[in-house]
Amino acid sequence: MNEQRKDILGMLAEGKITPDEAEQLIAALERDQPPAAASSEARPKAKAKYLRLVVDTMENGEPGRVNARVPLQLLRAGVRLAALIPPQALARANAELDKTGVPFDLTQLKPEQLEALVEQLDEVTLEVDQPDAKVRIFCE
Amino acid sequence: MMPQLLTVRVKRPEGRTIRIWVPLLPVALMLSPFLILAALGAAVACRVYRVRVTQAFGAGWRLFCALPGTRFDVQEGRTAVLVSIR
Repeated sequence: MNEQRKDILGMLAEGKITPDEAEQLIAALERDQPPAAASSEARPKAKAKYLRLVVDTMENGEPGRVNARVPLQLLRAGVRLAALIPPQALARANAELDKTGVPFDLTQLKPEQLEALVEQLDEVTLEVDQPDAKVRIFCE
Repeated sequence: MMPQLLTVRVKRPEGRTIRIWVPLLPVALMLSPFLILAALGAAVACRVYRVRVTQAFGAGWRLFCALPGTRFDVQEGRTAVLVSIR
């Protein structure tokens, strides 16, 4: 209960105003106050649940569209599964990456780092615009 | 929660649409003998590649349970394919 409302009720209790007047004052007070927009603004943004991939293409005059929705939970589970890849497989993957000019050591990539990456995905929006294709990757 | 229903919708160029609903639990029960064999094969593969079997099965189950909500919708001209898991 705010202070002004308390004051009105106090005046009513002291007999300074009638119940009708108190009602009118409270109604006026409610009119003056903005709707509860501030509370909805203060509410934290809902956490993203899905990763969306939308691709719009135009080939030979025919429109094409790919619309994929993948739960972020699936990515997290995939990361846990990826953590089980045996070291010899990782070494072979490293060698292949090195051959293609990507000197990346997959053994240094920890599951916690990947999970942190997935956690931050809900802030990511990627848009690629080309004359014949449009790609959008975002979380919702 | 494990996925319950797989929906496949195929729209052909001539306008005909085929919809298939696959209830996953009954299908899994029906295929359970094969699934047990596949699980045994996976367990052997885990032993061969020195991966902890329980960890691998746990991660696989979590992956399976995370499938609901997955949806792929592909349209090319007048042909469209939709795969949805609920």
